Amino acid sequence: MKDVSFGQYYPTQSFVHKMDARVKILLIIAYIVGVFLVASYHFLGFGACLLFVIIATIFSNVPFSKVLKSIKGILFIIIFSAIIQIFFNKSGKVIWWIITDEGLLNAGFIVARITLIVLGATLLTLTTSPVEIADGIESLMSPLKYIKFPVHEFALIMSIALRFIPTLLDEIDRIIKAQKARGADFESGNLFKRAKALVPVLIPLLISSFRRADELADAMDSRCYAGSKNRTRYKKMHLTYRDLLGFILTAGLITGVVFLNGFYVLLVI
Amino acid sequence: MRIVAEELNYVYSEKSKKLAVHALNGVNLTIEAGDFFGIIGKTGSGKSTFVQHLNGLIPTDSKHGKLTVGEFVLSNKKCDYKALRAKVGMVFQYPEYQLFAETVFEDVEFGLKSFYPNLTKEEKEVMVKTAIETVGLNYEEIKDKSPFDLSGGQKRRVAIAGVIVSKPEILVLDEPVAGLDPQGKKEFISLLHTLHKTTVKTIIIVSHDMNLVAENCNKIAVFCDGKVAKVGTPKEVFTDYENIKKTGLDLPLIAFLTQKLQEKGIEISTNLTLENFIKEVFKKHEEVKAKQREGGNR
Ligand SMILES: Nc1ncnc2c1ncn2[C@@H]1O[C@H](COP(=O)(O)OP(=O)(O)O)[C@@H](O)[C@H]1O
Ligand SMILES: [Mg+2]
Repeated sequence: MKDVSFGQYYPTQSFVHKMDARVKILLIIAYIVGVFLVASYHFLGFGACLLFVIIATIFSNVPFSKVLKSIKGILFIIIFSAIIQIFFNKSGKVIWWIITDEGLLNAGFIVARITLIVLGATLLTLTTSPVEIADGIESLMSPLKYIKFPVHEFALIMSIALRFIPTLLDEIDRIIKAQKARGADFESGNLFKRAKALVPVLIPLLISSFRRADELADAMDSRCYAGSKNRTRYKKMHLTYRDLLGFILTAGLITGVVFLNGFYVLLVI
Repeated sequence: MRIVAEELNYVYSEKSKKLAVHALNGVNLTIEAGDFFGIIGKTGSGKSTFVQHLNGLIPTDSKHGKLTVGEFVLSNKKCDYKALRAKVGMVFQYPEYQLFAETVFEDVEFGLKSFYPNLTKEEKEVMVKTAIETVGLNYEEIKDKSPFDLSGGQKRRVAIAGVIVSKPEILVLDEPVAGLDPQGKKEFISLLHTLHKTTVKTIIIVSHDMNLVAENCNKIAVFCDGKVAKVGTPKEVFTDYENIKKTGLDLPLIAFLTQKLQEKGIEISTNLTLENFIKEVFKKHEEVKAKQREGGNR
């Protein structure tokens, strides 16, 4: 349960960890746009994106294996979309049986796209704690206050949800252990049997979640929490030279992708 | 069933260099059948990790030392965990949080269904009834109630009935008295003694409460940094003042008083139960008085 890499913070000190969360979120969005900008068949653009991920990973002090592990979680989706492309794409020249050259190229294209996007997003969550991400999103969304969007409450819901993921994982772990000790078996039997085996876990989990919600509400009330009004922050976010360097690198990536798109066209001509 | 651990090791997140936590670093410990065994130690010393090995909740292998529970060799890959768990019951902190079924009966019956699927309905009923009555509840009154409508103390008892229903030979309790008031604690401990006399052979209790282990256990192991720092009777463990201090623990009240008296030059030999301590103090008092009288007569 704890081996899930996607969406997990990797605590260490690094250049990327110290960057402003807001900047990191923006840059990752820019990076994802960059990945989408890579035009069909222009695989050099993907090379540029990969280089970007590699550089960012080196500067983040996170082991490559940790970043790569995120792909394991979505391996099924990647394989599934590749298969659809390979076997159901009817356009292009038939190479063998029903497989066309265009189908193969499209499959490679989609695999590269999904993989690169997931790698980038993972890098964000590995280097930015959930609380920082929530604060960053709140800060980025603050202009929406002017159209009466409850930005603070939205961010609060998000950070509470994020905050309780590890707690819930612990809780699930504990309940599973308690039921296993009473002979519960989660690993054998058909799908229906396994689903049924989860009942003794889900019900206590639900009950304890409600209890926790109650306790949290009481704790917040007793600390006079009253929403965003007059709230000050313990950790203020500010920009540093690191963020500037990040901006430059990302801008370089986008320019590179656009340039490579054009370059490839030139090569073809 | 006898429990023998030899050089038992365990590392959380073993594959990751950064996140790896060495929870057990070579535990050597023997727990005899029939013991009322106490495990103490600072938070994070590996107590919970160790006891979760005993019924295979944390699996081990031959690379991490050796562990046998009765005839089960847990470090062997082919160990039958289900059969083992029927024999080694485990009660966690706040056991009432594991209740899930619609009625008390169904909840207690849960373990039987998976451990002994071939029992007849009547056999199961008898076993559930015995378990509920053993924990001191009225079977007829409570069996059709929802476990969520019970009081906190009753819930805890039902949860324990759900563990002992499969007639385990060893019952492991990890911090079972946390969150109980003094009265509840007293009742709980007397329930443990009842269980020890009637149902389970061996009781292993992990606790922060030094008084509890000193007064109730016949043997104690002190955990420190994933190792067993000391094993012995309460008296042996708690009169080794230096060692107790080193492991960061407090002395139980009686041991503390004995130590204070010793510093004043009054030696009292007690097995650390309150009754015995008071008896010994009076005995000492009489001795001193007798001596004084002798001195006065001379
Ligand atoms: N699920 C887990 N994942 C990683 N580390 C853990 C986990 N459970 C316990 N630990 C660590 O293992 C060590 C021993 O913990 P534990 O056995 O729970 O100690 P105790 O019960 O004596 O307080 C501690 O350092 C703890 O932080
Ligand atoms: Mg513990």
